[in-house]
Amino acid sequence: MFEVPGLGDLNVAATLPVTSLVLGTCILLIVDLFVPTDRKHITAWLAALGIGVLLVLALLALGEITEFGDGEEAFSGMFVADAFTDMINVIALITALLGVMVAYNYLERTGIQRGEYYVLLLFATAGVMFMGAAGDLVVVFVALELLSIPLYILSGFRRPQEASEESALKYFLLGAFASGFLVYGIALIYGATGTTNLHDIWQAAGDIVAGHKSGRFLLLGGAGLALVGLGFKVAAVPFHMWTPDVYQGAPTPVVAYMSVAAKAGGFAAMARVLASGLSNFALDPGEAAVWQDTVWLLAILTMLLGNVVAIVQTDLKRLLAYSSIAHAGYILIAVAAAGTAAVADEAVQSVAIYLMAYALTNVGAFAVIVAVERDDATNTGLDSMRGLANARPWLAAAMALFMFSLTGIPLTAGFVGKWFVFKAALAADLIPAAVVGVVTSLVSAFYYLRIVWLMYFEESEVEVSTPWPLAWAIGVASVGTLLLGMLPYILTDMVREITLAFGG
Amino acid sequence: MENFFDLVPLVVFLPLAGLLINLFAGKQLGETGVSIVAVGASAAAFLVAVLLWIAQVDTGYQAAVIDAPLLGDWISIPSAGVNIPWQFRVDTLSVTMMLVVTGVGSLIHFYAVGYMHGDERFPRFFVYMNLFLVFMLLLVTGNNFLMMFVGWEGVGLCSYLLIGFWFDKPGGEGWKNSDAARKAFIVNRIGDFGLILGMLITFWTFGTLDYYLPDEKPLVAHTETADVEAHQAGQAAGSAGLMGVFNQAETWLEEGDHQVEFGLFSLSFEATLTVITLLFLLGAAGKSAQIPLFVWLPDAMAGPTPVSAFIHAATMVTAGVYMMVRSNVFYHASDVSSFVVTLVGASTAIVAGFIAVGQWDIKRVLAYSTVSQLGFMVAAVGVGAYAAAMFHLVTHAFFKALLFLASGSVIHGMEHGHHHLEHDGEHVHDETFDPQDMRFMGGLRRKMPLTYWTYLSGTLALAGIIPFAGFWSKDEILADALKLGVDEGRLDGYLGFAILLIAAVFTAFYMWRQVSMIFLGGPRHNAADHAEESGTVMIAPLVVLAFFSLVAGMINIPGGFPVLDSLFGEHKFTGWLEHSVTYAHAGQFEGLLATSAVVLALAAIFAARAVYNNRALKDLSHDPLELDERTSGMFALANAKLYWDEFYFKFIIYPFQRAARWLAEQLDWHFWHDFVHENVIYRHFQRVTDFLTQPVDRGIIDRAFIRLAEWTQALAARVRVIQTGYVRTYALSVLLGALLVMVIILFPVIRELLGI
Amino acid sequence: MEITVEAIVFLVFSAITLGGALQVVLTRNLFHAALYLMLSLFGVAGLFVLLTAPFLAGAQVVIYIGAITILIIFAIMLTPQVTRVLKVHHTQWPVALALAALLFVGLVWTQTPLADELGADGWSADFTVEDPADVPADSLTDLGKSLVDPERYMLPFEAASLLLMAALIGAVLLVNRPDDNPDAEAAPAAGARPDQSG
Repeated sequence: MFEVPGLGDLNVAATLPVTSLVLGTCILLIVDLFVPTDRKHITAWLAALGIGVLLVLALLALGEITEFGDGEEAFSGMFVADAFTDMINVIALITALLGVMVAYNYLERTGIQRGEYYVLLLFATAGVMFMGAAGDLVVVFVALELLSIPLYILSGFRRPQEASEESALKYFLLGAFASGFLVYGIALIYGATGTTNLHDIWQAAGDIVAGHKSGRFLLLGGAGLALVGLGFKVAAVPFHMWTPDVYQGAPTPVVAYMSVAAKAGGFAAMARVLASGLSNFALDPGEAAVWQDTVWLLAILTMLLGNVVAIVQTDLKRLLAYSSIAHAGYILIAVAAAGTAAVADEAVQSVAIYLMAYALTNVGAFAVIVAVERDDATNTGLDSMRGLANARPWLAAAMALFMFSLTGIPLTAGFVGKWFVFKAALAADLIPAAVVGVVTSLVSAFYYLRIVWLMYFEESEVEVSTPWPLAWAIGVASVGTLLLGMLPYILTDMVREITLAFGG
Repeated sequence: MENFFDLVPLVVFLPLAGLLINLFAGKQLGETGVSIVAVGASAAAFLVAVLLWIAQVDTGYQAAVIDAPLLGDWISIPSAGVNIPWQFRVDTLSVTMMLVVTGVGSLIHFYAVGYMHGDERFPRFFVYMNLFLVFMLLLVTGNNFLMMFVGWEGVGLCSYLLIGFWFDKPGGEGWKNSDAARKAFIVNRIGDFGLILGMLITFWTFGTLDYYLPDEKPLVAHTETADVEAHQAGQAAGSAGLMGVFNQAETWLEEGDHQVEFGLFSLSFEATLTVITLLFLLGAAGKSAQIPLFVWLPDAMAGPTPVSAFIHAATMVTAGVYMMVRSNVFYHASDVSSFVVTLVGASTAIVAGFIAVGQWDIKRVLAYSTVSQLGFMVAAVGVGAYAAAMFHLVTHAFFKALLFLASGSVIHGMEHGHHHLEHDGEHVHDETFDPQDMRFMGGLRRKMPLTYWTYLSGTLALAGIIPFAGFWSKDEILADALKLGVDEGRLDGYLGFAILLIAAVFTAFYMWRQVSMIFLGGPRHNAADHAEESGTVMIAPLVVLAFFSLVAGMINIPGGFPVLDSLFGEHKFTGWLEHSVTYAHAGQFEGLLATSAVVLALAAIFAARAVYNNRALKDLSHDPLELDERTSGMFALANAKLYWDEFYFKFIIYPFQRAARWLAEQLDWHFWHDFVHENVIYRHFQRVTDFLTQPVDRGIIDRAFIRLAEWTQALAARVRVIQTGYVRTYALSVLLGALLVMVIILFPVIRELLGI
Repeated sequence: MEITVEAIVFLVFSAITLGGALQVVLTRNLFHAALYLMLSLFGVAGLFVLLTAPFLAGAQVVIYIGAITILIIFAIMLTPQVTRVLKVHHTQWPVALALAALLFVGLVWTQTPLADELGADGWSADFTVEDPADVPADSLTDLGKSLVDPERYMLPFEAASLLLMAALIGAVLLVNRPDDNPDAEAAPAAGARPDQSG
């Protein structure tokens, strides 16, 4: 048998946040069996408590107040624990915490309160965290599935409601289809480089580029197919079509969580694979990475389609679905910018900033929809916002703030995200992408601000329920959105240490 | 004749072929076609088994190992020394099992053609039955524990499917059936856990799971020591360390002082064997319905009667006994395990026998009787009477299958009578009627004479009346148990003997009680009055089985029995088994013991006759035992099945639920809800929100901006037409996107190739 | 390019695999689709044999054909309405076929230079069972060990086990009888059909 290395050699401590999340989830799964059906808030509380503790740990690690383990590699390069990992951990855990808070009362009043909800949510969160920490394509793939499968199930959580079941099935079928592309891509990359380790791929890619070998064609194919698989996860056009249907059909708290978690995971993986593993893969040495053009073309398509189609939506959930497609486009610009070696760090940092801002804003917006939604999953149309300002001024103010942030109006977190993304794009000479980004942001103002209009300038009867966990979630999200918007240096400080490209 | 051994895969593949044909073409074939295929497959398998039997005799009982076609290297990792080939073993033990399974199986298949006539899932039934045959034959023909385990799980699956066969019966019956199926599956799983664990330890200890390797002779204990040494020398010279588990065990036991390393600790080899055999016992307790896992078998009678006869009486439930006999080398080496096995078997025999006295349902009585008889077999393994255990297994297969089939015939007759009544409109539909409840029967002797006579022969065989088959096998178990006690002064011998003797008395009593209630006296219900004899298809197997119940005992006449021993030969069956079961030994005839056992059984029958006399049989809403205050307490206990299920509920399931509830009460309500939730969080938050509540009323939107966007609105309306809601459209879009991405990313390459 | 026995066997198994797979998608009868799946998997097992990976081939037969497809067939048989043949009309399959073919041809075409560079010619690489150097003696052991070796694939292996657990929970949740749910009927089927809203 092989020698079992000590825990220290493996640097297991570096994986502490995610491994303790996984262990805790498994324990929660068992504890949940003992929790009677009418007391599921115990499970919710335990989940929230665990996430809270881990969030503190992740923040400590991000702020470099403590370091878990030593060095950046664990499990012989399978797991990377660097600043990017810490940042993704924080984003994932905040999203999960808000996700639990948003979900609890909704599940209660719609009669689908089950402990498994929280367990699955935590599993998906672990998937996001693994993806942020992936040092190997195998981990990328497994983590992607670990994220996806709980999301498929959660989409269908409101069984036997047809819409929910339909969305789960659609998501699952298309997700499986897209995973196939990712695996195929990984296989081609392995075929070209003979390894699945990202650092080794980076080295092999360097050799291939320097030696002008034919293996680069294979590697190109692999990168393209991997991009298809990951593009599906983040809902980039033209792999976006599942998004509106799934967002509309799935239970709203699930969408609140999923819209952010799937994006965070997908972009984390994309950053690891493209901006890290294949960062030096250019057809001729010294050029920008070969995938850059493809990514920014996708970004332009995504921004255009997402923003334009969002305009005609009459359902809030569908509207936010197209909005989330559009935001994927903005982040894709940043990913594309990472293909230029000189601005790679700045670009990846802007990805992290955007994800953080988007996480708070988007979960908050969906939380407001949860508040107005009726028990039978109706009243999610634009009309439901009518006259909200009179009835519930604070709620309307929060919603308005989220809409401003999604539009990218200054003094909100959304503005900070867009600012850094466009800055990176300009630095990488991606002028067309930046221009389309700015123009579509203006277009998006139309549908976001229409919601604000409806809330403040029209009258209607409203019926809203904001139990305290939901209210707290909305509160936290809006305070976060505002705070990050007004004090952008919090974000820049958070991401300062992030650098993905392998040096020398 | 050795060539015949190569036929052994057919024994599995023939039923497989039958099952496949019926699976794919069952609808087209119709009932007749399905019956011909299913019965034909079973009968052909029986024919192959007979050929193997002849070949065994002809080759001087040579054991043979045959590679399965295609799957020879089933699980093989040469570098790690793992090799579990897919091999069939033909030796006297496996041929015996094959003969019983296919022989009795063919008869029951035939019977089922009549019994299942008109059922809407007729083809599916026979698919399941053939599938069962496939797995059961895999179980008995495999040359390693893993193959046996594949069969073991497979028959469990078939049992589950067949118990719940009528899962859609109206009026809650269906739920009861599927609950019974689930219960059987879950209880069996506990046993399987033991078996898996035992197998893993076996593999760890021996590095293989093969019984014997090809061309390896069992080290038989009664061969001369010189042979053993010669064998060892041969092994050492040839391929050292390559031995099947049993020979390896013998060698290590011979050498002594062998330690088995388990990483953190090591155990002596003898102790390891004890652990393995106890785990195997748990497996056997699940499949062969022994204490504490026997609770599933009586409920399993929810399945169609042929299934009860075949799977839950004659074959599958004996798998545990077969497995223990197969591992006789292990059990022989462990006194502790043998003691436990004896105790488990004997107590099962007496407990189930006792419960059977208090049952009303005709099939339930037989079910408990089966549990009790399986207890006899297991106890026989415990006292080292492996040949007697197998002998009882064979005879029991005949007469218990007979009894079940005959009871099926009775139920059929009763249902027929009941339909007849409804048809004539003489009788309003009466809800309480149950065609399986013996209280509604009586006097069927005249209505169904053939069923009566065959049932009677089965009863006498089960009760152990000379010269019926049951007498010989039961007597041999008793004699062997007593011999162990007397010769070696072993407590388990005496204990087993005493308990089994009492259990035998119970057996005779409840069987005669059943015969009286069903066939004797006068009819107690109009349905019984109008019952009719079943058709030839169902009666013919009964007659054949009745014949075997009468004569099957002659295959193993104990040594020293007057007249018969010279007529049929002494312990033929034991002699046959000795070639494959290392520690099989012949029983000696004990005249006094045999006589007293028969006398006791006869006494029990007469006691039953006295209790269930004609006067008592007139009105049977209450059992005579129930009315007599000296026995009423005992009867109530037997009728309630000793509260066994209730015991499990009260002491295992209920406390578990209580603990959960208590935790919830304390942790959740008192701490979380009252304290944290109400006091700390809720009130706190309310104060904060009250303080902050002030209306904000502001917001300006540029109207012109909306107009600017109006044309985009028109564009968007066009785009959304693509959003059809069909998954296939979306998948197509993903594919299109993939092509797009590939073209863009490969554009430089394409340009290079095109030479632009 | 010379036609060897290996080449013929390869072609036969490929035909079985692809033909079976094609039938899986084309047949309208779910039950037949399951059977064709079995056929296709059998072809894959044959290809494994050709690649001198008998263990994988055996595993393929025992696990995929012996266990999984049988399970699928049982599932189909136990749900009678599933075997009902549905008439579905859709006309986009030629487009899908053309796209898939394009993708395939494009990939093959762009990878040809690589094949030339590697000197791969003929139906199979020079890879024979006879040459021990070609068949890594311990490949299977290595595979097994590396899956549980903390320095190699233990992390993804464990993550995969979590994944399976999540899938298991999902399966249990989804098959749970809906009457546990008090207001199962309360939710009307809104339907995620976009033609109502977008």
